[in-house]
Amino acid sequence: MTARLPRIGLYAGIAIILVIVIFPFWWMVDTSLKHPVDIFGGVTLYPHNPTGDNYSRLFNTYHFGSYMVNSVVVVTISVIVSLTLGTLAAYSLARFRLGLGLNQSALVAALLVRMIPGILLVIPLYITLAEWQLLNTRLGLILIYSGLNTSFVIWMMQSFIAEIPRDIEEAAMVDGDSRLSALWRIVIPLAAPGLAATAIFSVITTYNDFLIALSLTSTPKAQTVPVGVSTLIGKIQIEFGPMAAAGVIGALPIIVFALLVQRHFVRGLTLGAVK
Amino acid sequence: MRLPAGPYLLLLPAVIALAGVSLYPLFYGVRASLTRYLYGRDYGYTGLDNYRHAFADPFFREALWTTAKFVVCTVTIETLLGLGLAVLVSREIRFSGPIRVGFILPMTIAPVVVGVMWRLIYDSGVGVTDPLFQFLGLSAPEMLSHNGTAFIAVVFVDVWEWTPLIFLILLAGLQSLPQEPLEAALVDGAGRVRLFIDHTLPLLMPVLLVAIVLRTIDSIGTFDQVYVLTKGGPGTATRLISLHAYNTAFLFTQYGEAAAMLIALLAGVMVLMVFAVRMMRRVAR
Repeated sequence: MTARLPRIGLYAGIAIILVIVIFPFWWMVDTSLKHPVDIFGGVTLYPHNPTGDNYSRLFNTYHFGSYMVNSVVVVTISVIVSLTLGTLAAYSLARFRLGLGLNQSALVAALLVRMIPGILLVIPLYITLAEWQLLNTRLGLILIYSGLNTSFVIWMMQSFIAEIPRDIEEAAMVDGDSRLSALWRIVIPLAAPGLAATAIFSVITTYNDFLIALSLTSTPKAQTVPVGVSTLIGKIQIEFGPMAAAGVIGALPIIVFALLVQRHFVRGLTLGAVK
Repeated sequence: MRLPAGPYLLLLPAVIALAGVSLYPLFYGVRASLTRYLYGRDYGYTGLDNYRHAFADPFFREALWTTAKFVVCTVTIETLLGLGLAVLVSREIRFSGPIRVGFILPMTIAPVVVGVMWRLIYDSGVGVTDPLFQFLGLSAPEMLSHNGTAFIAVVFVDVWEWTPLIFLILLAGLQSLPQEPLEAALVDGAGRVRLFIDHTLPLLMPVLLVAIVLRTIDSIGTFDQVYVLTKGGPGTATRLISLHAYNTAFLFTQYGEAAAMLIALLAGVMVLMVFAVRMMRRVAR
């Protein structure tokens, strides 16, 4: 048996898989650039008369501008809040031996929070937000996402901070820095790559979330991009062109982000099971 | 100067935030499951009525069964495919970097967008699957219009999106395996297949288990893509437990009954979680 034949088979197999992976993306982009006539006119693998109509209708008729503003506001604030809370906690866990076995159990607890299926949380959160008059507000979403992201930030930052040698910050403290200023001036800059990766991962998961935003918001005043995408379905008729365009807008920033931090992205998804 | 309470103070805000979105909803959920709601309004303690109703509800039992089928199908297929791909790509081949990036694309984007993509492919009017089958001389399957094909369609989408996760975990696992025992076995004349079954697979087992447990837990909670693709239909063919609970709570405002279903489900998921954490600890060691 020659080694050449299986080699060719291997690459052929990989090529087929890549086509299966890439094609849905391309088909969505393709559809988003077609006129309605062409969308229903049979399979064409590229738009023969490309148009930006679907995109402009998205913003003019379907409130996509406000969905995007909502997403940006909610994601930005909740990620900043969770990075702050999570990093402080992670520092405490990485640097001190706490009583009651807290170092270990806090990490496990953070892990468990990440694993609770969203649907379990949504009903109690809905009732609570209703009592606080926070349904259909960006503040409501921000509060919830901040909490949920914190679990993940603790998990990631704990391992990043643990990798930084203690000597440097202890030297700074001998020179008169307080704990917090040593954390701010020494540890944070050293942990910056990890912090950036954690931030981007949090941005991705928050931006992609659907169930929580779907259940807790009801108008373009607070709805986010994924919810906006879903509103284009389920009316009497599906608006395929704008729906495809919405999908493209929903996917594009995330693909860019994910490619930037591939490795850390994986680490986040697998909860540190794989370093 | 040392402040003994300092470390705990640093931890406190995060603990409050975490408890706010996990412990509090859980307690509230348990309470809601013991409460009677009528048109969304609280009518007081009702004992285990909601649980009794939930388990007497044929739709709930059907949703449990559908979810079980869904989880078994997706996790099995994803594990086998992911393992195969990881073994393929773990060998030194050309373009392995870009190939890996290509493989992980599906799991980065929002599940809602994944649903949209496949809706555009499956749809009878504008899609690709029907013309493709006709091109091959077969009848158009109209994937989302029939019970059997809709279920297959939903499973296929999940496999498309999440095989990459198992692939990545196993790839990292394969690459961190010690090489010496494998080389020794190769020197002893073991064939590739024997080598894989006798040596690689047992060494890979802990990582494989972590991947399976993680994926199982996520698969139980699947909602987004199915909501976009079929909304649980046609009929109840793809109505997973998450969709059923969502409808019960938000279409029929039966919060109590929905909460009861989810608490019962959580009990099951908890067992898996404990299992998962044990697994990971052992692997971490």
